[in-house]
Amino acid sequence: MMTLIYRAIALFILFFVLRCMFREKDFWKQVTATMVIIPLVLRILMIK
Amino acid sequence: MISIKGNRTTAAFLLACALLLAAFTGRNFLEMRKPDIVVPAPGFDGHMLSEWFPNIVGTPVDTPVFIQDSGVPGGSVLIMGGTHPNEPAATMTAVVFLERATVNRGKLFVIPFANMSAFGHNSPQEASPQRIHFTLPDGSVRSFRYGSRATNPVHQWPNPDIYIHEASGQQLSGSEMANLNRAHPGVEDGPLTQRLARGLLELLLKEEIDLAFDLHEASPEYPVVNAIVAHENSMMLAAMVTMDLEFEGIMMRLEPSPRNLRGLTHREWGDSTGTMPILMETGNPSQGRLRGKTDERLALTGEDKFYAKASELGNLFIPYEKDQPMDLRVARHTGSILKFLATLDLVDPEIGVEVEGVPGYQEMLEMGVGAFLTPLEL
Repeated sequence: MMTLIYRAIALFILFFVLRCMFREKDFWKQVTATMVIIPLVLRILMIK
Repeated sequence: MISIKGNRTTAAFLLACALLLAAFTGRNFLEMRKPDIVVPAPGFDGHMLSEWFPNIVGTPVDTPVFIQDSGVPGGSVLIMGGTHPNEPAATMTAVVFLERATVNRGKLFVIPFANMSAFGHNSPQEASPQRIHFTLPDGSVRSFRYGSRATNPVHQWPNPDIYIHEASGQQLSGSEMANLNRAHPGVEDGPLTQRLARGLLELLLKEEIDLAFDLHEASPEYPVVNAIVAHENSMMLAAMVTMDLEFEGIMMRLEPSPRNLRGLTHREWGDSTGTMPILMETGNPSQGRLRGKTDERLALTGEDKFYAKASELGNLFIPYEKDQPMDLRVARHTGSILKFLATLDLVDPEIGVEVEGVPGYQEMLEMGVGAFLTPLEL
């Protein structure tokens, strides 16, 4: 149960990172968001 | 930095890049969870630890146990590697016994990958290689995983701030909760690592193992290195073996298992079972704190200029000139285990175990680990 809640929190954060990324006007800040997305995806899928 | 305007198109492009990289790295990480292939010598039967302790059936810590029964009355000996998968000479020693041993008297148990979960990932921020490779005499290559000291956090989390060892109440750093060699004698319905430890205890009890090896490696700057750690039950045997090894020029420290350091095999197996537990350490620069570039070469050769400097300054606990190769580290383990087996029936003539086919210290040094692995094509 705790793992499911943890994954839901990670998914919630991923959603907002994506939201910010698509609204962002600075390309380099979008790149920064890209780097945040990778570990979040791996964590949500319980790969790493 | 060049100013570039971002928009939804660039965001979509970058998202695609992120997903591509996540897929690539994810596949890479998942590859590490595939068990290494071993080729047991004729006579070995394969089992799973959960056959002795069903509480771990279907979990990532259930691990293969190989048994060769000679059919001739004698003792039972367990050789266990892979408690800490970032100590590869321990794993490779167990694999060499598994792939080479012919048991002529008694029964031999081999567990090459004790903490199977810990083989499936690397420790963060250590830059460890994912695999190490060995070239065989026929030119083929075998590879084995270089894992982590701890159970994979994907399988067991979170760690508490303080880990309380259940049997003793001893308090340790929270990360030790995932360390198999702080989990013994285990907890029947505890976290995965503690259950794994309990499974190993059940194996020892039900099979009435007479002599049990837990193989390790240690940093060259750590005092308990090139060492045999023995419980009171096994001290007499270990003392005889240490002297014999010394006569042959193989220097091993003999350390008594501390009574107040709990959770380790050499203490808990001896206290909770009738076995004679032995923990052995060789010197592995690739896990030490002084090391420089960390890669497969370092894991296999132990060649590191910073360790060479530390040795010059007299700060190491092993003789170190320029390297500490895998062949030497495995040779120390195989040579010592063979000496234990040769000495075992001096302690009790009824528990002797005779094994042939496994290279001794000199043979392993001369021919290397790869010479004693079986090609996968066979």
